[in-house]
Amino acid sequence: MKLKLYTLIFGLMAVFACNDGIKELPYLGNKVVENGKEIYHKVGQFNHYNQDSILMTNQDLADYIYVADFFFTSCPSICPKVAKEMLKIHDALKDDPQVKVVSFTIDPVRDTPAKLKLYGDNLGIDHNKWIFLTGDKDATLDLASTYFVAALEDADAPGGFDHSGKIVLVDKEGHVRSFSEGTDPTTTPKLIEDIKKLSASYKTSQ
Amino acid sequence: MKFILYLFILSIFSLISCSESPYMQGKRLYTANCQNCHMEDGSGLAKLVPSLQESAILGSAMMSCIIKNGLQDTIRNNNTFLVREMPAFGKLSATEVTNIVNYINHSWHKDFKETHITEVEDALKSCQ
Repeated sequence: MKLKLYTLIFGLMAVFACNDGIKELPYLGNKVVENGKEIYHKVGQFNHYNQDSILMTNQDLADYIYVADFFFTSCPSICPKVAKEMLKIHDALKDDPQVKVVSFTIDPVRDTPAKLKLYGDNLGIDHNKWIFLTGDKDATLDLASTYFVAALEDADAPGGFDHSGKIVLVDKEGHVRSFSEGTDPTTTPKLIEDIKKLSASYKTSQ
Repeated sequence: MKFILYLFILSIFSLISCSESPYMQGKRLYTANCQNCHMEDGSGLAKLVPSLQESAILGSAMMSCIIKNGLQDTIRNNNTFLVREMPAFGKLSATEVTNIVNYINHSWHKDFKETHITEVEDALKSCQ
């Protein structure tokens, strides 16, 4: 009997030990050399207009952690599904000013800032929290690969673009720390947990 | 003992039959053609894609025409929809449209009544 009790206590301790402490999120991607120093992979530079036609760069997001996706408003395939998950993230983290939501359009010809604003209005979002960005098409398609998102022009694909629906979490330094599949709602709760974890890590280190 | 076994088997059967729509073909077509925008549960997406769950169009003959020809003008629901038009699904046959209509109505229309293929054919003839 005593043995059983000990086993139970040990088992419980083992379970708690595993959950104990905040495990740091991994840095995704290969390390690169910058100025002679080895650093973790960073997302590429952007120079895009937001839904209010204001030019934004990575520098404008340096004080925030953010989730990003690549989409276009007239997309008939996976975009509405991904947008639904992005909306869940937007709602779940609306009270954390440190978190932003960013959507890059890969169809800048049709997706003007005004159209992106209207799209955001229809989603019922906070335009300060969720930033839509439009810019040079080729630069955006190249940028997507630095977020580990596949995006390319393809006349045979629905809407003219082929792309994956990943939602990517980026830290303040521009490193990719986690992601979910926007087309699979079951992966969203884990990403929301990761965002909270990353956000908390900045609060404790300050 | 045997009685309990029968009861068990019966309950398993009833579980399986409850979780599946009787319109499996319609469900497959819905998944392939409609689900990306209207979502698996028919809830749509905010004001971008109308929800089917509370749609006034369910159960009406208009459904067939909208599925087949799309809606070029903006779909309005209490005048709150601002963008988006529904694309046409012209390749669908009358049989396929019937299957989709029945799946949608069975899933989300309170007063479900099975639509017959002749009704869909008549509706498609008089589309505007």
